[in-house]
Amino acid sequence: MKPDLSVVIGGIKFKNPIWTASGTCGYGEELAEVFDLSRLGGMVTKSITSNPREGHPPPRTTETVSGMLNAIGLANVGVDRFIKEKLKFLERFNTRVIVNVAGAKLQEYVEVCAQLADCPRADMVELNFSCPNVEAGMAIATNASLAEKTVSEVKKVFPRPVIAKLSPNVTDITQIAKACEAGGAEALSLINTLIGMAVDIETFRPRLTNNTGGLSGPAIKPVALAMVHKVYKAVKIPIIGLGGIRNYLDVIEFLLCGARAVQIGTALFVEPETPIKIIRDLEKYLSRKKIENIQELVGQLRIY
Amino acid sequence: MKKVVIENAVVIKRDRLNGDCRSLTIGNFPKSRLLKPGQFVHIRIPGPDVYFRRAFSVYDINPRAKSLQVIFKIVGRGTALLAELRKGDRLNVMGPLGKGFDFPFLRDKVILIAGGIGMPPIYFLAKKLIESKYDRRKILFFYGGKTKKELVNMAHIRKLGIKLYPTTDNGSYGFRGFVTKAVREFLNTETGQFRIYACGPQAMLRAVEEIARKYSIPGQISVEAPMPCGMGICQGCVLPLVSGGYTRVCRDGPVYQFGEVLL
Repeated sequence: MKPDLSVVIGGIKFKNPIWTASGTCGYGEELAEVFDLSRLGGMVTKSITSNPREGHPPPRTTETVSGMLNAIGLANVGVDRFIKEKLKFLERFNTRVIVNVAGAKLQEYVEVCAQLADCPRADMVELNFSCPNVEAGMAIATNASLAEKTVSEVKKVFPRPVIAKLSPNVTDITQIAKACEAGGAEALSLINTLIGMAVDIETFRPRLTNNTGGLSGPAIKPVALAMVHKVYKAVKIPIIGLGGIRNYLDVIEFLLCGARAVQIGTALFVEPETPIKIIRDLEKYLSRKKIENIQELVGQLRIY
Repeated sequence: MKKVVIENAVVIKRDRLNGDCRSLTIGNFPKSRLLKPGQFVHIRIPGPDVYFRRAFSVYDINPRAKSLQVIFKIVGRGTALLAELRKGDRLNVMGPLGKGFDFPFLRDKVILIAGGIGMPPIYFLAKKLIESKYDRRKILFFYGGKTKKELVNMAHIRKLGIKLYPTTDNGSYGFRGFVTKAVREFLNTETGQFRIYACGPQAMLRAVEEIARKYSIPGQISVEAPMPCGMGICQGCVLPLVSGGYTRVCRDGPVYQFGEVLL
């Protein structure tokens, strides 16, 4: 019998727990040239803000050991064009669309989510509380009461599930996690990138014009796993894990640590077909282990 | 919808060229016939040291052999590892990516300007123009390097039967001085309906655009930028546009009209 990969989060069913992460799949247009997006459990769009943003001056990215530093600066088309063009494009695919929303202040999150409320193609929103490259994002990411307030205000205008995406750049991630849960978030996604820096020793300058950037890729996976597990023990709502996932083995690690679904991020830049390979390999793994439903793995870590 | 292919290709030939330049002929890439001059392939460098793929303009294709050829210069870890590959080694290749050159009008005199390792897409364009029945006598290839060592595969260019103007900054071969100086001197004595295509260092491209403005010649440049994804997703390879905002070199480029990007 074919194992069941489906998971339910916030009352919404996903055909599998494999999503693509915000900022690493754009609005889907480019990735659709490589594989059929309908095979994904979900797709999280690039962060959307009220107005279009050009982003930071280049260089915006640099390669580091087993990872990537980026400071794109939330470049996006703005919510109006997003709804008109990008969401419309995504209508043809049979996958869940989670719209990532960023804002300079609480009100911007509410405004953007209110506009998305009327778009049924936006199955969920994911609040980017953790973009390390924009000051306002960090303010909410590191302030539990502000995070709680933002979630609860968004809940008033957006009728479908709300995910809060958490930053690892905090003293205690469980505090923010609990605050978002109290605010009414249906799920949490973690982790966003870790603040990092790379330096050019010829010019004595940082390699990014933003000076610092967000570190992603395999380098951050152990940090992500530890935080997912910590948050899993602290909250009751589902967790979507991300950070350095490259293959199905990584996915199972995240599930065992408590994630109910995962997001594939930077790996898409190196191997765009990664999610498809992972879905195939997960089926094989579950068959071999005689596990009927992938949800049986969630939180099954046997700690010492 | 599906347009980009990702193949486990294989090295079928490698050559050591002048200086730090190398050539790799890569087989088992069935879609090589789709590669157009100015487009690039994104190559995964085998080994744990290098994380992202590296982008290389296509130098040549052999559709019957399902192969393509790239020429590169060893400038860092990625290219150093690539240079160590041998015949039979596997490497993962993604393409075709980016926008290529627009072809000129048949009546145009075509000025091709290549600086250093910017030569491959210009050579590929020259070859395709000739295959497309453009008049050989109307194609002029200006090829500049710092020294003679930087000029590679000149025999290939000569074989195309077009006029070749090699230049070196130090005069060790051909015309002495920047390649753009040679183009300027040429244009001072020639008349006609010209079109320019250029690829090379940024300073050279700036000089090319200056010349094009002065003589009112239309044309295109191919620019270089480090590209994490190569597909237009990450927005990491952007350059500023003259009209404002940024352009994704990998998807909206790497070929641009004169005056489009802020160099």
